[in-house]
Formats: sequence, C-alpha cells, structure tokens
Amino acid sequence: MSLPGLELTQPSEERHLAVAPPSQIALKAGSEWRFEVAFGHIVRVKLLTGTAELFGTELAESQTYTFSGTKAAIYTWYGCELEVSAGETGAFTSDGVTPVAGHGAGGCQSEYTAEETPMIEYANLHFALESMRQEAQGSGKDGPRVLLLGPDDAGKTSLAKILTAYATKAGRQPLVVNLDPTEGMLSVPGTLTATAFRTMLDIEDGWGSSPMSGPSPVPVKLPLVYSYPLANPLDGEASVYRPIVSRLALSVTGRLAEDEEARETGIIVDTPGILCSGKPGSLELINHIVTEFAITTIVVLGSERLYSTMVKQYDNKPSASASANIFDERISVLKLSKSGGCVDRDDAFRKATRESQIRSYFFGNPMPSTASAALSLSASSTSAVTLSPHAQVMDFASLSIFNYTVISTEDEDEDEYDPSTLGMGGSFLPTDDSTTHHQESNRAAPLPGIIGLSNDIHNPSTSNTPSNVPLKKVLPPAPSALANTLIAVTHASTTASPAQVRDASIMGFLYVADVDVEKGKIRVLAPVGGRLPPRAMIWAKRWPTEVVGLVG
Amino acid sequence: MSGLVSDEVAEDYKSSLEDLTGNDRFQISNLTVIAKENTEHAMAISRVLENHIRSTPPQQKLPALYVVDSIVKNVGTPYTLFLGRNMYQTFMNAYTLVDAQTRRKLDEMLKTWKEPVPGSLDTRPVFPPEITRSIESALIKARTAALQQEQARGSRDILNRVRNTGTPPGMSRQVNNHHGTNGQGYGTPTPPQGHRPASELEALNRDLEACILSARNDFAAAPFDPTTQQRLKALLDLQTIMRNQQLTPDQLRLVRDQLSAFRPQAPVAQNPAPSAPPPAAAPIPPPAPVPTPPSQPPSQALQNLLNSRTLAELIKNTAIRQQPTPPPAIPNVMPQMPSMPQMPQMPPVSNTPQPENPLIAALRSRGILPPASAPPVMGSTGQPPTENPLPFLMPGGMRSTPPAPTPPVSMPVSSTVPMNTASMKIPRVALVVSLYEAKSNRCGTCGRRFPTTQEGKEKKARHLDWHFKTNQRMSEAAKRAQTRSWYVDERDWIKSREVDDDQPVADTDATTEGGPGAEGNASKQGPPKAWIRAPNDATLRNTPCPICQEKFESTWSEDVQDWIWEDAIKVGARVYHASCYAEVTKDGPAPRSSTPQARTGTPDSVLGKRKAEGNDSPGGKTRIKTEA
Repeated sequence: MSLPGLELTQPSEERHLAVAPPSQIALKAGSEWRFEVAFGHIVRVKLLTGTAELFGTELAESQTYTFSGTKAAIYTWYGCELEVSAGETGAFTSDGVTPVAGHGAGGCQSEYTAEETPMIEYANLHFALESMRQEAQGSGKDGPRVLLLGPDDAGKTSLAKILTAYATKAGRQPLVVNLDPTEGMLSVPGTLTATAFRTMLDIEDGWGSSPMSGPSPVPVKLPLVYSYPLANPLDGEASVYRPIVSRLALSVTGRLAEDEEARETGIIVDTPGILCSGKPGSLELINHIVTEFAITTIVVLGSERLYSTMVKQYDNKPSASASANIFDERISVLKLSKSGGCVDRDDAFRKATRESQIRSYFFGNPMPSTASAALSLSASSTSAVTLSPHAQVMDFASLSIFNYTVISTEDEDEDEYDPSTLGMGGSFLPTDDSTTHHQESNRAAPLPGIIGLSNDIHNPSTSNTPSNVPLKKVLPPAPSALANTLIAVTHASTTASPAQVRDASIMGFLYVADVDVEKGKIRVLAPVGGRLPPRAMIWAKRWPTEVVGLVG
Repeated sequence: MSGLVSDEVAEDYKSSLEDLTGNDRFQISNLTVIAKENTEHAMAISRVLENHIRSTPPQQKLPALYVVDSIVKNVGTPYTLFLGRNMYQTFMNAYTLVDAQTRRKLDEMLKTWKEPVPGSLDTRPVFPPEITRSIESALIKARTAALQQEQARGSRDILNRVRNTGTPPGMSRQVNNHHGTNGQGYGTPTPPQGHRPASELEALNRDLEACILSARNDFAAAPFDPTTQQRLKALLDLQTIMRNQQLTPDQLRLVRDQLSAFRPQAPVAQNPAPSAPPPAAAPIPPPAPVPTPPSQPPSQALQNLLNSRTLAELIKNTAIRQQPTPPPAIPNVMPQMPSMPQMPQMPPVSNTPQPENPLIAALRSRGILPPASAPPVMGSTGQPPTENPLPFLMPGGMRSTPPAPTPPVSMPVSSTVPMNTASMKIPRVALVVSLYEAKSNRCGTCGRRFPTTQEGKEKKARHLDWHFKTNQRMSEAAKRAQTRSWYVDERDWIKSREVDDDQPVADTDATTEGGPGAEGNASKQGPPKAWIRAPNDATLRNTPCPICQEKFESTWSEDVQDWIWEDAIKVGARVYHASCYAEVTKDGPAPRSSTPQARTGTPDSVLGKRKAEGNDSPGGKTRIKTEA
C-alpha cells in the first residue's frame, strides 16, 4: 500500500515506457478498440492520428492516457491510429497480488477491434435528445428526462457517459442521476447521487472527481450525495430506497427550477441492473422513478422483455411532469442494442472497482497522465492528485451513528470476503478478520430488536411515518464490526429523526480503521482535517462491504 | 442460338414454371437442375424466366424470382449474364407489384446478390455490382419519391415530370427485344384473369393503353393543366388495377365506362416529345396484353397510386389488396439500402420512380425539405424509419440540383430526430459532424473542441489559460497535502452553478475549491486573511515567527502573482504569524465561516496552525502521513 503523499509511482516511468515496445492499432471509421486492463496493471494509450473517443469523451491527440482496472472501448467515427504501451506494473498493487500482464497489446488482459458497435444508435439517441433540448430552449418546456434501464453489464453506465459527454460537448449541462448503489458516481458505492455536468468527463477516471482542496487537471464535478448502504434497491425498497429517490428527485427538481441550463438539458438517470430482473417490486420501483423524475424517455438496453413491458405501460402516456398537459409531453419508450463490447464484470472485478472508488475518495487518484500535466514543467510528478486524509481517534459515545436494520434478501457478508482480492491489509490491522465477522453476525441479530430509537415516537411530525424507517441508532459499546467499514456523515443534526437522517444528503465518509471496544474509541480516516462536524451518521455496514487495508 | 431445340426447351421450361405456384423448394431445385443441364439454351431459358416473372400474378412472382436466384447461385454463368441483362426491369417490375411482405423478401434476396455465393471460392458477388446497385438506387428513389410525393402533391413544377416521361431508349429496346425473340412468353398472358373472356379483357387493355398514350401526349402538351394530369393518373391507376386484380364482369363494365369517359378526349396527335416507351408499348401486337407492358408504366402506376385518389371509388369496388400496400412498403425498403445510387445508372433509374423530379422541384421551390410531412407515410405501416434517411439519400441521388439539397440536409435533420426505436438505427453521419468538424479548433491538452468563430477562439484562449493556471497550481499543490472536500448539502447544490473554464469571468475556484486561489475566495468566505509578500532577504526569510518559532511557508498567490506568506503580518521589522500575533495581542482572528467548505479552502500552511483554526480538534493538526 503506497502511503499517501509518497509518490512511489513517479520515477522511472519514462524508462519503462522505452522498455516495452508500444504497439500501434489502426482503427477504421466506425470501429472501436475494446480493452480490459487488470487492476494493478497500467496501460498507456496515445492517439496518434485521427479522432477517437472513450465513451463519448474525445481523446486529445498525442497525449498519453493511463488506464488501470478498466474495461472500456475507444471508438472512432472517422478512423484513427492508437499507440498502446504497457506502463510499469506493481507500483500500486493495493491488494498485494502481483498483477499478471495480459497478452494483448500493452499488456491488456484482452483487447480487440470491433467493427460492429451500436454507436450510431447511441449517437442518434443523443441527437434525438438534442432535438428535444432545442425545443425546450425555445418553448420554455423542460428538457428531456431520460431513464436508462437494462440488466447488469448491458452498458447502461457507459451509455450514460456517452450521452453526458455528447451533451457537454454540445455545450449543454445535463443532470446525471445515479440510482445504482452498487457503483458510485463521483462518490463511493452505496450512494445515490445527482451531478450537473458542464465540463468534460475524465477519460481515465470515468466520471471525474468530486471537489478537492487542490486543483484538478480535469475540472471537478459537484455531486449531491445520498446514502443507501445496501447493494440491492429492492431490499429496503419501500422504506428506504423509495424515499431517498423521492428526496433526490426533489433536489433535482429544485435545481432544474433554478438552473436554466440544467432545465433545458434535462436529466439522465442511470439505474441498477436489478430493476430489470423482473423480481417482485422492481416494476413498482421503476414506476416510482418514472413518476418522481417525470421521465420523458425510457431507454431499454438489452432486454426485450422489459422493453415490451415498458412499451405497454408507458409508451405515449403523458409524463408525470406538471407541465405535461400544457405541452402534451408524452413518454417515449425505446430499445437500443446492447454493445457487443459489454463484458460481464465478475464479483472480484466489481469488488476491486468498489475498493478503488473508496480508495480514491480518500487518497485521490495517483495515476499520472501527460494530458493532465502537459503544460507543467515537471510533468508526471505533479499530475497525480494525491490526497491526504486525516486520521483521528474519536469517542464512539459522542457520535450519533445509525444503522439500517433491513433484512437483506441475500446473505452477502460471509461469502463476499475474498482474501485474494483484499490482501496485505490484514497484517497491519490488529483486528482479526475472523473475529470481526463473528461479532458482526452476532451483532446483527440483537440490533433491530433491542436497540430501538426513542426519537421515532417523539418526532411523529417528521415526514412519512418515522416508525417505518428501519434506521436505528447504534448505541455504545462500539461494535467491533465497525472496523474496516465506511460511515456516511450526513448533513442532518445529531438529534434528527431517523426519517430525517435517511433523507439527508451526505457530506462525506469516514473510514473506520480500528475499533477499541473497551475504551469505546474508534480510529477513523476522515477526508478533511479538523474536528468532525457534529452530524448524524449512517453506518454503511452492509454496503459497500468491508474494505480491508485502506489504512496501514 | 435460339434454334428450334431452344424453343422446345424453353417451352418445356415455361410449362414447368407455370406449375410453380408457391415457394416449393423441391420444384425450385428441380427447375434449377433443368437449367443447369441445359446451359446451351441458357438464353432461351433466361428469357422464359423473365417473361414468366413479368406475367405471373404478383403472389407467384416471388417463387419465380427464387428460381432465378437459385439458378444464378447454383449454376452461375451463363445465366448470370443473360438474366443480369434485364434484371433491373425484371426485378423492379416484380417489386412494384408485390405486397410489402414479399418486398422484404425481395430485399433480402437482393442483399444476397451483392455478396459472393456462400461457400463458393469465387469472391465476386452473385450479380455484378452495377446491376444490384442500379436496382437499389431505383428502390431508394422510389421511396424517396413516395415521400416526396406527399409533399410535392399539387406542386406546380411539372416540367420535370414531362421531361421524365421521356424514357431512355434502353427501356423500349428491351421491351421490343422480348417480344421479338420470344413469342411464347405471351402465350398465356394475363394469368390472373385467365378464366375471363380474354378477348374482352385484351380489348379493354388495348383501349386503356391507347387512352394512356393519348393522355400522356395531352399531358406533355399541356403540362399545367390539372385535368390532364388527373386523367393520366387515373388511367394509370386503372391500368394497375386491371393488371393486378381479378375484376368481376361488373367491375369490368365499370372500367369500360370510365374509359369511354376518357375516350372522346383521346384523339392523339403523335407526340413529338421523346415519350419513347408508351409509343413503343402501344404498337405491340395484340397478344401483348396488359401484363407485359414496359416496366415503366407499372412504376408510374405505383407513383400514381401513391398520390392519387382519383379512382378511389373504383379502387374500393375492386377490393384491392394492393392499394394499401405500396405506399407503406416503399419505406420498408429503405433502411436496408444505405448505399448511394451511382451515376451511370441514372437514366433508367430516374425513369422508374418517376416522381423523383417533382421532389427536386419541391426542394428547389421551397428551399428545404420539410421532414415533418414524412411521418404520415411511415405511420401507416409502423415502419418509421423514413424521414431521416431521406435527406441522406438525396445528396447522392440528386446530383442535378446540388445547391438545393445541401442546406436542407443538415437543417431539418438536426432539428428533428424522432425519439423512437427505429429512428435510432438510421445512420446520421451529417449529425456526427456537429460533434467533431463543427468545432474544429481543438485544445491540444484535453481534446476539447471549440468553434472556429471569434467567440470560439476567445473561449479557447480562456480555456488554455485555465489549463496553464491549473498546472501551475498543481505543481504548487503537490508540495502541500490536499484533501477531499466535503460534499455540499442540498441547498448549496441546488444553488450551485457549474462554471465552465471558458467562461469570461474566470472564477475557476468555483469548481475547484480552495487551493492557492483561496485567497481570492477569502473575501467571500470570511474577512481577508493577513499575508505579506515573501521577503527576498535570505535572513529574513529564514527567521521563524517569534511567537511560535515556526518558519514561514511561501506559497504562490494567483491574485498577487507573487510568492507570499500567508497568515503573516509584519510588525515593525519582524514578521509574525497573523494568528499568533492576534492571539498574543488578544485581538482574536475573526472567526471564519464554520462551514467545512470554507475550511477546505484554507491553504494547508494555515491548517497546520491550530490557533488559526480555533475550533479544530487536536487530531486535525497532524496529517495521516505523520500519524501512520
């Protein structure tokens, strides 16, 4: 584990580059280069000639982009030539596993050129949205609100990125809403977010980065974050997920009302794949989202069945928008092809992705690229944004921590632990992992029953039936299961009711490095130094799962 | 080559073909085998096939064409040569008369003709590309025309049409060719109507033919006369109906009445205009009945069917299955026809889908092609992909009017891309331009694009400025620890506005909070902080704060454009930390905004000073680096 601030990665890059002979890839117009890079391995890509885009965001010519832990595709409308080379490996193998370079160009695990892509459809969707935006601009009507639906690994988020990138390229400012708690957008997993995109997306880092104290080579984005610390939206559907979605939609609507550009551009909603599973409750949830965001356009990727259901239910129906009647706004349902480049991300990869998201929340993204530092004299040494979180010891009793007591449909905890993907952290931590698990499962049972929160009864006025909120205050002693988990710090006061806590937006996350049960102290990593503001917190106990070894 | 033996073979083949009424694989392969065994009579067989396809009822055209398909694929030359020669007419003729479903099958078949025979070593396509291409372009045009017809209806510009009635010589030559060499082909004319008194029908057909001819001549003479126009249309409609429907005697009577209504006006003086095909068709000897007119009239009939309601009553009476089909079916074709028509095929091509010229006319006269009028056509079939391919097909097909099509191409399309699944499948290359070429001024650092306009240049200048500043800051920031900022709360988020780096008011700190630029924000977030320029004097620079004995840190100030010491105050000759000094002098620093955002904006050099952050917890002083 590289310590923050120590830039282990920087020296000797250029020399390494010289060692591995770069390979060149010529792409014909309308084709794309799909590549997978393992975590811990680095692949550098440079656009030599022509034009190319990664999920809609254009690559600059002659700039080197570095990729790690990625499955992505670079598409070209007009043809291009890429240079792919391997970066040095092992420099930031966070998991202690020596990454194995693949056999593809530049050491990609897998890489190939595909000539059949659904990019024309995706671009057309953008153009169709652009038509609606132009109309919105002229008529005072709201811009299109797009809902992306589809099973896991159908390319929903990639499509969302493409639509966002094209929209910003066209000078628009889309509001992108992520309703998928399994993957974070500009935040850690276990969150639902909304963000207005005005500036270009980060080619190397997916969506980009949320604000930091220092400058960022790619303009940062400002997300509005809510905590949903469960992997499955259906688990806490009625009492947790829905109210949060409503709250998020309320904020988004508020923003749309005030932000003219956002209003014209509209919303893009990315959803979890499980909504497409046909499980009980999923259709109701979709309906809830469609209503709350007054969706005008439902895009179904890779699911014929859901498409036909959606057509039956929504096609040509008036949207839920208040002005739907005035403008005769109707919902259109369309079906787009799933890209052949969509690959299944296995659990290990997903977990590694989650961990890397959490890691970069606290420590920044230490991946250098010449693109971000081209004008700087000391190029690669400065481009990496390394963040320094602050560790501090806190009195558990002074904190107001809540925990969701939703019974998960899947018993995920024990099964998901995978030593090979977690790695060396264990040796640094005093807590034995096995006992952690033990106590966690012991703990889980008594929580709902015994420790109830009296606030429930005292604040009946707050929002909808507070007693239904499965959110209980975690009372001392500090549960040792806290170790290696995240705690979301809300904007709600410590005395807020569970419903308020649930509906509150998040100001940040703490990582619990260590729990001293006897002294009632916990050692946490906070993104920002200084005393933690007194706020209600939500223990992300179930999701995202334990991240071991974030702190040495 | 067509000796006596050939005739016999052809006769046999013809009768075998006539037995083929459905898509029977066995029969088709049998016919293929016969063709294979008689390659020396390929020419005769080809002609039999062509004639059969032309004369057979619409529902039997597909199997016959499948025989052709099977032969050219399994036998190849010389059949490809003989059949290829007239394939355009054969195919188009059949295509115009069959229903939408069959058309789709024909489309599929045509597609395979563009490819090599599956499993064959020969990499050449089944038919030479010129042949398939000419058919394709004709189909494209027909469809375009159908769409345009909707718009161009009532358009004044008929001149083009007149010119178009002049048919390329190839057409008539072809017709004559058939009649001359292969008389048997006409032995069983008008197959669908075969059970009716043939003579009556033939007479009627001849009358009709004559009427059409005269109407056409009238039309050529007085192209602006709407009645002439209408009459011609009506006649052509009628002809189509006659050819394709089995009319009851009552209906025939009706037809005759209709015809007689026209006849008085048909005293034709032979038209000097180059209306080649009708004259060519008319003189055809009596056995040449309706089913074998030159391929032009059918397509014209198609066109007229598309836009004319003149014979609506008759059409209703005859309970036609055809009437509803043609207009929708034409759009059907198009999605599979992305290729542009090529030049040499122009003359025959332009002839068949005759309405194409009114299209140009409409384009010219209006300056644009309103795509909005297309949906009705597609709506009727549920085959939506119409309006958009249209503008894209046009530039290739309409070289004659280059200036007119060009502007409409991007204009109407960019304003309306319909939101439906089918519309998503249509390539819109011209629109991609808006993502790329439209903004050709690229930032070399991040690839962002700017228009080449003056405004775009200014934006780019500001953008590059932003890059420069950011990089400066980053090299500076690398020396200090940076942290992730807290997320904003709902209220702030709703109030916040994304600021682009190319905005004239370059308040870049709005998105990148804090950093060395925080000084600029300090005034908003709290009272201005004390700072001085870092002294140049080495001694003074190394002198610590007299109160806390810590050295000062130099930071680059964006506003001052110089190195400064933050939180520093010069009292007399000595420099103190402002916070230290304030504390000592009991003049506490004005409390900063207590929001976390403000704190993150505070430069690190200050963060380290506990006194400056009076409300910091002890832990806040040290960074993880030191504690770990």
